[in-house]
Amino acid sequence: MGVTTNAVAGLGLAPEAAMVTFPIEMFLPGSDISALEARKQEFYDGLTRWRPAVASDGAGEVPMVQVQGASVEDALARANHLMLANRWGDGLPLWPPTRERVDWVLTGATQPRWRPLGAFPPRGGVTTVESCAIALAMAGGRPEYLPVLVAAVEAFLDPESGSEQLQAASGSAFPVVIVNGPIGGQIRLNAGFGCLGPDPQRPAGASLGRALRLLQQNLGGALPGVGTMANYGGLRYTNVVFAEDEAQLPTGWAPHGTERHGFAPGTSSVSLAFANGATNIRRRGARKETPEEDALQGMHRMADFMRVPNLASLAGYEHGTPGILMIPGVVAQTMAGLGWTKASMREFFWEHSRIPAAALRRAGGPAWIEIDTSKVARESLALDPWPITASPDNFVIVVAGGGHPTNSYWLQGYSPGVVGRAIELPPSLERLLAEAERDLGPR
Amino acid sequence: MVGLEFHDPSGAIEVRQGHAPRLATLAGKRVGFVSNEQWQAYRMLPRLKALLEADFPDIEVLPIDAFPQGNAVIGSEQTAALVKASGVDAVVIGNAA
Repeated sequence: MGVTTNAVAGLGLAPEAAMVTFPIEMFLPGSDISALEARKQEFYDGLTRWRPAVASDGAGEVPMVQVQGASVEDALARANHLMLANRWGDGLPLWPPTRERVDWVLTGATQPRWRPLGAFPPRGGVTTVESCAIALAMAGGRPEYLPVLVAAVEAFLDPESGSEQLQAASGSAFPVVIVNGPIGGQIRLNAGFGCLGPDPQRPAGASLGRALRLLQQNLGGALPGVGTMANYGGLRYTNVVFAEDEAQLPTGWAPHGTERHGFAPGTSSVSLAFANGATNIRRRGARKETPEEDALQGMHRMADFMRVPNLASLAGYEHGTPGILMIPGVVAQTMAGLGWTKASMREFFWEHSRIPAAALRRAGGPAWIEIDTSKVARESLALDPWPITASPDNFVIVVAGGGHPTNSYWLQGYSPGVVGRAIELPPSLERLLAEAERDLGPR
Repeated sequence: MVGLEFHDPSGAIEVRQGHAPRLATLAGKRVGFVSNEQWQAYRMLPRLKALLEADFPDIEVLPIDAFPQGNAVIGSEQTAALVKASGVDAVVIGNAA
């Protein structure tokens, strides 16, 4: 029901609708649908007698929330209990977004606090720069993170991202934000060991990802089982936010933001896609492999993992991505030394992840591909073996991860698009970074 | 006592239009279906069509496939325009789960 009310709210209607709901069992193959007749009057009433409870005369400003406690600790506890009871939190302790805290986070803003960024789908919550600062404050974020969050939210709200569908869909997708440019290192966003967290030495990714998750829930309405039908949720309380290890990019390997979105090298930018799986792939050899054998075996190991008929890549078959492959800098350097480029690696993955038609049929794949929205995807059924994505260019390869070659990481894509935004940096950035140094110690 | 005041993080929702008014009766009306062809809609919606036709004299219930079907198209402006142009008095949308 929450999915439907979110959807109508997102269309500018009051968040309610005339619905008749049944237990899930009725919607399964071979189900007993006799309850339809037993409750037919509810359908008739929905077309004749139903009346909305909410007036349609617009929304006003949202008032501040107040709690009282016997002590600071008591007030903090009560605030957290209230946020949880109101379903504003994620189950972990939150920093109440007081005026003082939010105003502090807003010192990292480049736009006025009331500047609208859009309506957060599907519920349609009005999203402003202040909304981002509120979420970032709750997530324990700092002002120097705010420009990155605003850019990520702009990318999220871009219809090309597919967020409107994915916020409510069953596929348990979560946003992945790849940051390029100097801002990553400046705000202590991780590109190396532990770049997917947790990492107290480089905490920006956790706060940024958590803030985005809070916006998805509080403004977008993505509450488990109510506003989103994701069977398994969003995997991480902090989504995935990390920086590409640009210092380790081999000569001739362009940053991801440049390759995918055309940003000039050195531009601080975000790139947002959706994933719904995360897997470590053991990449290196164990014995006396030559460098060429080590590289090729690792490539096959990665491609073989991608060659699965679970159809996640169908979500962005034409313009999205089947996934994001993360490789450590030392691997990128070694591969480049052997003559590999990001382009040749993509070609290899595209070719070697193709699924034989018989395997696709055995898994019931054609039924889903035949009804896909993309004509390119539907026509791809004629191909045997079946490529998991329309073009090698759709694979995202990013240099990031700890400094040894043992593993790569595959974030399985469930992503209609990959959306980029340049990050607008505040004039106050140097001061904010100096304050971070004071608060957190040297970088 | 210590007071703590903080922003409501759920934000505002702008309600720009009301829901369509309901019909006084279904008798003599024209009703359509918009189907996403999912979740056993191919069984349930025809059953509902038959129930409407049995219970309301002079009702006209359009075939289930009178409008484009499937998740990809039922939310489109084109489908909405087709529904509006058809002159139906009411629409039932299904199935979601």
